[in-house]
Amino acid sequence: MKKILGINCSSKVEKVLADLIGEKGQMEYEPFHDRMVLEGYQMVVLEMGRKEEQTVQQIRKLRYACNFQNIPIVLIHGRKKYFSSQPYMIAGATEVLSIHDPSAACRQIINGHLIPSREPLAEEFEYLEPFIKNTCHILQTMASIDVKFKEVYFSNAIRIFGDVSGIMGLSGNADGTLVVTFFWDLAKMVVAKMMGMEEENVDAELIHDGVSEFINMISGSTKREFVGKPYHFEISLPSVVVGPGHQIGHLQDTSVAVLIFQVGVHCFALHVCIKPKEHRVNT
Amino acid sequence: MMKLIVADDSRLIRGIIDKAVASIGFKAIQADNGKEALSLLNANKKDVSLVLLDWNMPFLNGIDVLKNMRSDERLKDIPVLMISTESEDNRIKEALNIGAQGYLTKPFTPEKLIEAIELILNSSKSQKTTS
Repeated sequence: MKKILGINCSSKVEKVLADLIGEKGQMEYEPFHDRMVLEGYQMVVLEMGRKEEQTVQQIRKLRYACNFQNIPIVLIHGRKKYFSSQPYMIAGATEVLSIHDPSAACRQIINGHLIPSREPLAEEFEYLEPFIKNTCHILQTMASIDVKFKEVYFSNAIRIFGDVSGIMGLSGNADGTLVVTFFWDLAKMVVAKMMGMEEENVDAELIHDGVSEFINMISGSTKREFVGKPYHFEISLPSVVVGPGHQIGHLQDTSVAVLIFQVGVHCFALHVCIKPKEHRVNT
Repeated sequence: MMKLIVADDSRLIRGIIDKAVASIGFKAIQADNGKEALSLLNANKKDVSLVLLDWNMPFLNGIDVLKNMRSDERLKDIPVLMISTESEDNRIKEALNIGAQGYLTKPFTPEKLIEAIELILNSSKSQKTTS
């Protein structure tokens, strides 16, 4: 049974959800608070509050609480007047639904989001394993940080919910992008450890630089392991994108593997989108 | 204090190197691209004992800086340690063939860096003694 968390839901919305989800999921309800734990839930449904800014903040906090896991956040409301869903989507909502929308359509959308992510194919593990190994090795070597690989899922969503991302464009035998994304606090901690300095002395520029160098090292050390294979790629100079909910476009029609790594209670994610020129991996 | 030039577009890497080489008595003159590295090298050629070069840098990459150095009478004898994420054998061979004295792949520990620097400096000293 899939566990779904309803947050700030009124009795009217609870009734609608019971009808939409039926026996496909087990609903649990909680009021919103700052220390929400979302581990183990397959979906979160938040009822929209009256104030846009407050709801946006709640979505952002829920997205942080997801720790890069693929948990859809569905925002549900009872408004009849048109409003833009853009601020909520940018903050991290997956879907905005109205209780006045046709229930068959809502049911289909919710069921779509409840389909579990597929497991990687053996062929995909062939190129993912070196990335996992090298990511852990780099942080251990450069910052003496123990990193645990947590999980992988595939997503075609282009939105990344970290605060700062390092991007490497790939060319050569294989095209694609590699993106490492962090929440600010972990990025700061990693850079401070690499430099052997106090976190309070780490400025934004150094964090950008550290994240950029990290994706550079992941790319460089991994490409060596693909020599003579279809996944071998060339690298260029990395770029950095900053800001919550930023968007990054990957190659079309290509699987994006999201690898989640754990450092203590924090997580960061590595997106691997790679397509050998003579060999396409389909979703 | 002995001097070396470190050319890397990453401030983080330059900072790590700066700290590591200070522990063995070196002052690191920093450049964030290859072009700047060459002008700093020309300005400090008499005092510089070693150059540490990243491969991928804006304006002029490390391998082009190395080629420039080896074709310049005034700079050709200054030892070079390449420090790069480029870790394939053919890249390492290319850099060594052009005239780098050593090659260190990222990621590295400060201990590995110091070991690589000392190896180059010792070998450079013994070559001077022999000649």
